[in-house]
Amino acid sequence: MWNSPARTRREWLAAAGGGFGALALAALDATAGSLAPRKPHFAPKAKSCIFLFMEGGPSHIDTFDPKPELDRLAGQPLPASFGKVILAMGENHAPLLGSRRQWKRHGQSGLWVSDWLPEIAKHADDLAVFRSCYADGINHSAGVCQMNTGSILGGRPSLGAWVTYGLGTVNQDLPAFVVMQDNQSTVVNGPRNWSAGFMPAVYQGTRIQGGAEPIPNLNPPEGIADAEQRGKLELLNALNRDYARKHPDQTELDARLTSYELAFRMQAEAPQAVDVSKETAATQALYGMDNKETQTIGRLCLLARRLVERGTRFVQIYHGAGSKWDAHTKLEENHSGLCRSMDKPVAGLLADLKARGLLKDTLVVWGGEFGRTPMSEKGGGRDHNPTGFTMWMAGGGVKGGQAIGTTDELGLRAVENKLHVHDFHATILWLMGLGNMDLVYKYKGRPERPTLNEGEPYKQVAG
Amino acid sequence: MRMFAIFAMMLSWSWIRAAEPTKAQSDFFENKVRPLLADKCFGCHSEAMNKTKGNLTLDTLAGMLAGGDLGPAIVPGKSKESRLVEAVRYANDDLKMPPKEKLKDEEVAILANWIDDGAVWPNAKASGKRKPGTITDEDRRWWSFAPIKVNPPPKAGDGWARNEIDRFVAEKHAANELAPAPEANRLALIRRLTFDLHGLPPTPAEIDAFAKDSSPNAYEDLVERLLASPRYGERQARLWLDLVRYADSDGYRIDDYRPHAWRYRDYVVRSFNADKGYDRFVREQLAGDELYPGDVDARIATGYLRHWIYEYNNRDARGQWNTILNDITDTTSDVFLGLGLQCARCHDHKFDPLLQKDYFRLQAFFAALNPRDDLIAATEAEIAEQARRSKEWEEKTAAIREKIEAIEGPARKKAAAGAIGIFPEDVQAMMRKPAKARTPYEQQINDLAYRQVEYEFGRIDKHVPSARKEELLALRRQLVPFESLKPAPLPMAFAATDVGPAASPITIPKRGDTPIEPGFPTVIQERPASIAPLAGSTGRRAALANWLVDPANPLTARVMVNRVWQQHFGRGLAANASDFGRLGEPPTHPELLDWLAARFVADGWSFKSLHRRIVLSATYRLTSEHPKAAEGKLIDPENKWLWKAPVRRLEAEQIRDAIYAVTGELSLKEGGPGVAASEPRRSLYCKIMRNTRDPLLDVFDAPYWISSAASRDTTTTPVQSLLLVNSPSMIARGKAFAARLAREVPDEAKRIDRAYRLAYGRPASSKETVAALAFLDTQARRIDPKKSGSAQAEFVGAKLPYRDGQAADLKLGVSTGFQLAGDKLPAGEFTIETFASPRSVAETGAVRTLAAHFETTPKPIGWSFGITGKQSRRKPQTLVMQLFGAKRDGTFGEEAVFSDQHVALNKPYYFAAAVRLASKDAPGSITFYLKDLSNDDEPLLTAKLPHAIVGGFDHKQPMTLGRRGASAGADFDGLLDDVRLSGAALGVDELLFTREGINKHTLGYWQFEPKPGAFVDGSGHGLDIRPAAAKPMTAPRDARQTAWADFCHVLLNSSEFLYVE
Repeated sequence: MWNSPARTRREWLAAAGGGFGALALAALDATAGSLAPRKPHFAPKAKSCIFLFMEGGPSHIDTFDPKPELDRLAGQPLPASFGKVILAMGENHAPLLGSRRQWKRHGQSGLWVSDWLPEIAKHADDLAVFRSCYADGINHSAGVCQMNTGSILGGRPSLGAWVTYGLGTVNQDLPAFVVMQDNQSTVVNGPRNWSAGFMPAVYQGTRIQGGAEPIPNLNPPEGIADAEQRGKLELLNALNRDYARKHPDQTELDARLTSYELAFRMQAEAPQAVDVSKETAATQALYGMDNKETQTIGRLCLLARRLVERGTRFVQIYHGAGSKWDAHTKLEENHSGLCRSMDKPVAGLLADLKARGLLKDTLVVWGGEFGRTPMSEKGGGRDHNPTGFTMWMAGGGVKGGQAIGTTDELGLRAVENKLHVHDFHATILWLMGLGNMDLVYKYKGRPERPTLNEGEPYKQVAG
Repeated sequence: MRMFAIFAMMLSWSWIRAAEPTKAQSDFFENKVRPLLADKCFGCHSEAMNKTKGNLTLDTLAGMLAGGDLGPAIVPGKSKESRLVEAVRYANDDLKMPPKEKLKDEEVAILANWIDDGAVWPNAKASGKRKPGTITDEDRRWWSFAPIKVNPPPKAGDGWARNEIDRFVAEKHAANELAPAPEANRLALIRRLTFDLHGLPPTPAEIDAFAKDSSPNAYEDLVERLLASPRYGERQARLWLDLVRYADSDGYRIDDYRPHAWRYRDYVVRSFNADKGYDRFVREQLAGDELYPGDVDARIATGYLRHWIYEYNNRDARGQWNTILNDITDTTSDVFLGLGLQCARCHDHKFDPLLQKDYFRLQAFFAALNPRDDLIAATEAEIAEQARRSKEWEEKTAAIREKIEAIEGPARKKAAAGAIGIFPEDVQAMMRKPAKARTPYEQQINDLAYRQVEYEFGRIDKHVPSARKEELLALRRQLVPFESLKPAPLPMAFAATDVGPAASPITIPKRGDTPIEPGFPTVIQERPASIAPLAGSTGRRAALANWLVDPANPLTARVMVNRVWQQHFGRGLAANASDFGRLGEPPTHPELLDWLAARFVADGWSFKSLHRRIVLSATYRLTSEHPKAAEGKLIDPENKWLWKAPVRRLEAEQIRDAIYAVTGELSLKEGGPGVAASEPRRSLYCKIMRNTRDPLLDVFDAPYWISSAASRDTTTTPVQSLLLVNSPSMIARGKAFAARLAREVPDEAKRIDRAYRLAYGRPASSKETVAALAFLDTQARRIDPKKSGSAQAEFVGAKLPYRDGQAADLKLGVSTGFQLAGDKLPAGEFTIETFASPRSVAETGAVRTLAAHFETTPKPIGWSFGITGKQSRRKPQTLVMQLFGAKRDGTFGEEAVFSDQHVALNKPYYFAAAVRLASKDAPGSITFYLKDLSNDDEPLLTAKLPHAIVGGFDHKQPMTLGRRGASAGADFDGLLDDVRLSGAALGVDELLFTREGINKHTLGYWQFEPKPGAFVDGSGHGLDIRPAAAKPMTAPRDARQTAWADFCHVLLNSSEFLYVE
């Protein structure tokens, strides 16, 4: 709230107000919603999660799910045996589009990865690739909403909010649930993707940007001197203490006092957390920050590591915010650019987490709201495909080097070990020590659960 | 991996097979069946282990028999009819169990044999489960389903009680050994009452009048004054609008504005202010079209049936319609019945006697629903008058319009064919049928899907062949002179009716094709509803509405009375205002709830009478400070027994409205289309865009308005504090508050008292006055007059939808646009780009300027980039670049180049123009770029057009943003976000839209962000901007004034301002 070192502020608080610290946190607990750390339901494998959301729907059949049969049938219509498909863009009789990728097996596990992702491929032995995911929404709004909240309709808390509700955070000076994106376009449906839905707003995600003001209103506007700001806060503190004293049994008023203290601790902590200038050139290069094409997402991946290091519970990075992966036309141009911009940074994140011993406690998740059709659209594009697509996980207790489930021969529908979004969410929760049926929030008196009473964790992911 | 969808019930169960098993049967079960079930099934379906995947348990016979969604898991004696066997045989693609691995054939046989042998389960005990589909007398006796019972008020509370409410409350006080707190003082009472009934703080004059009123009826008179004010309806409307999830936008992807939804909001305000009976209010909203045909308000009221979120490009029309019907069913049950009926969508309710069938019985009332956007919110007479007044215009323009139609007609046909062709083939078939041949369901699906055809009609220019565009534009221009003859359009209703007299059948998913007839929850009335068909409508919704407001209905009045109680006490008599089942808490004062419900009905369902009754009670008037609070808290920490008043944080809208009320900026204008949150109107009148939330309302727990909200959370977060203490808009409010005080009270000591009265509703104590004066002295010394904050402070920031960060909010006649400090600008090719959203365009043909480098005198010279007005000589609402310079033919003059791309109002866009100069040999070009940011499906549009300017348009005047040169005649009205000027004609991959930031061509880059400062040029070339107003903006701050603004800002941050006792 003002621009002087944190210690001075603490000293001032001690002198001016007193009674903060642990007591103050207890007061916050008394209000609706608490961020105090909570015990998981069972021993967690991952303490934090970094969810890399490729917004718009990356093509699984050009990245992680090779389909030789598709190349063979390229140019022909979808065989009648595949039945009817509801398509978002309705090009109902478009021919199949072969993949132009070169495919290779990677690592000791021999996991297939296409030549679009050479750097991530080097981590094949860390990846558990779910090739049999499916979802319910055929459009972006429904798909992104479901991949975040479990429901294709709005109004429910996002996965990050559920995790924050279930586990709280060990670092009160930073938001527990952080959201970043690679450009200034709005993610489909906007901030309700990281909202707390019907739960108290304390569990919602906080958008973080770089620079001196990573969180909105973190600092007073230009032109207000430190001393001036401090004078205001002293007065405010005095007024609020007087009022709280008059109402000794209203713990919420103590919480209000504390919220100002937390706010300025956040002001001290957040800019440090996002200051990547202290990272070595080698680390920055590892994330591709030395390259124009990869620097944006590289920086976000590095921020994710710094936040996780400081105890942030759930980090979500949108790559291609504003449906940039949505390659209805010119899949080649679209995906090759997006893959290039993301491949090195994501690989760098995995490598860096591993080198620092953080990967074992940090679950990294990659994927979009759906995959893409084997059928073409407008010649060289692919339409939305929620009926079969790929997501992957790494770290956080995940056994790497495995491909889980399959799609049919053309990659249209998940067939073996089908994994609904609810199952996928249940698996993330399970890795973090939360039972998807045990995590309950009572809303309007009714027990609400993160996966809408469905879904089952895929425990084999842990080997 | 998905298990059986959801199943079952856990209530009392009293029936079970009685025959004793033989030893062979027992052995077979224990040795073969149970181990198999335990091994393969109990992992997910075990009551004992609390594994109730899909709500099915298989570790008791009762669990197997109860089943659920797909019927019972087994039918004893009939393995072929048993779902369990069907599942393990993998006979049904949607039902393969266990999911991961099929049982061996011999294992399947064990289960089949066991079932065929009668499914003998030794020592079967009754579990918690009950026979599905039945209701017991015990269920009917549940408090909320039982008839309302009116007991006379108890004889408790003599000497304290002011009315009957207090007698009920006093009885509980006595029973719990609690004594009520004393009555609150008048200052606390008027503040509490005004916030509760108006959502606003009382003014100092109102406080003084009440404090000085010596009449014995002073309090009663105050209540009457508050109930009679239009502010009352505005406050009550907010609560209702939360329940019905009212918003002004679609809530999906493009989140389109709903231009007529606000008429429903105003209807709600009007209804509360007129004290319309709740019975009529319910009837109008559910079935205004059926019950009050011709009544304009009733037509608007059916907007209740429209507030679901809508996805404009969903091709799965069947699925989307299903979602809409479910949404209406869920909301109706929550709002009117206070029952969690949505739990019963997939299975009988687990805790309440609500059957799956009940969900679809309720849905069947809406089976014929048809959303309508073509209904006029005017009387027949007004419509006739409109037709009469339009006549002259129609006659005079008929020939022109015919020619336009000759172009647009075929374009529409083409557009429609394209839009229809992308639906699934079955939906296409419905759409291609003649209307007469469609079933009601097909008509509904057609109408829903046809919205996407109309969406294309809304952008018809895209479908007109380019060869005929010029002709079309010319024809449209011919219409312009006749505009004055055209009467203003009549208001439209955001409404719904039935699709016709027949309804589509409603069936239970996966339960066969038996149509479900409309009916009420079985626990209340088992027989189907009796429906009186109407001409052109099914009469179903009328039947539902009439049943809801039948005085014998046990739920409606109780639910509503409880909501009003919650409004006044922060908690309902039954704590879960939208769940009166077993999951909600039973009421603390059931007799009082029933008594109030009965009075509510007897008073003609009058809300004002109900409020009056509650706020006149001694219970409502208690102070929040109890002399023995600590002891009371030991007995009743939650204050369930109402022995003192709660201290409550204001709700989000109350906070915003109170801020503007205190600063004196609040406009009490009533009604009309929603406004931007930057307008100082009451929050109720701010546009609710579901995907673009106002930051202040958001952090203070405003609901999402996607599903029905019965109460607000009260969170306390650092993010709230940061917003209150650091946001530019709050700092501006502090200044406005200080300016108001300085205007009204010249004397500083008295001014402090006035500040306290305004912000806290009480005078400042002498100690507080002394402390405040001391603060002002010290603070004034802390302020650095050299740090000029005033120019920044003049800046009005707002968020451009679909963009991060801050944009400049430019208002006609208020803000002035900006001008550059430097003047070294290119004289050659350039690109000007911006993200912006126009609020209005000129009514004339005049251009509103996005950016310009323009000089008027002695002769026009330079360039200007803007948006044309409604009567543009070329095309209204399109981008235009005007160049004044040397032409190819050697003369000097103007080239005005129009992009012909349509610019809609209040939409966020990326606009750009890349200018390449002409030479003697070849024309130059202007490439316009336009991208609708709200819709990712819209491509980046480009239009490349020639011009003849070779150069010579440089001059010494500064470049301007949002205005053209020194005069205000062409100012922009709307939000202006990042502006970038480049010294080259950029290609697509260099555009700001493609890649944000600066590059080697960048000359200036203005982002309006608080960091590094709204006026700082981010290109590093030092081309900072300043407001283009006449007065100098760099005057040093007056330290004393700033100290006052700081003091006022602090008051607006303080707990005493944010809470009400």
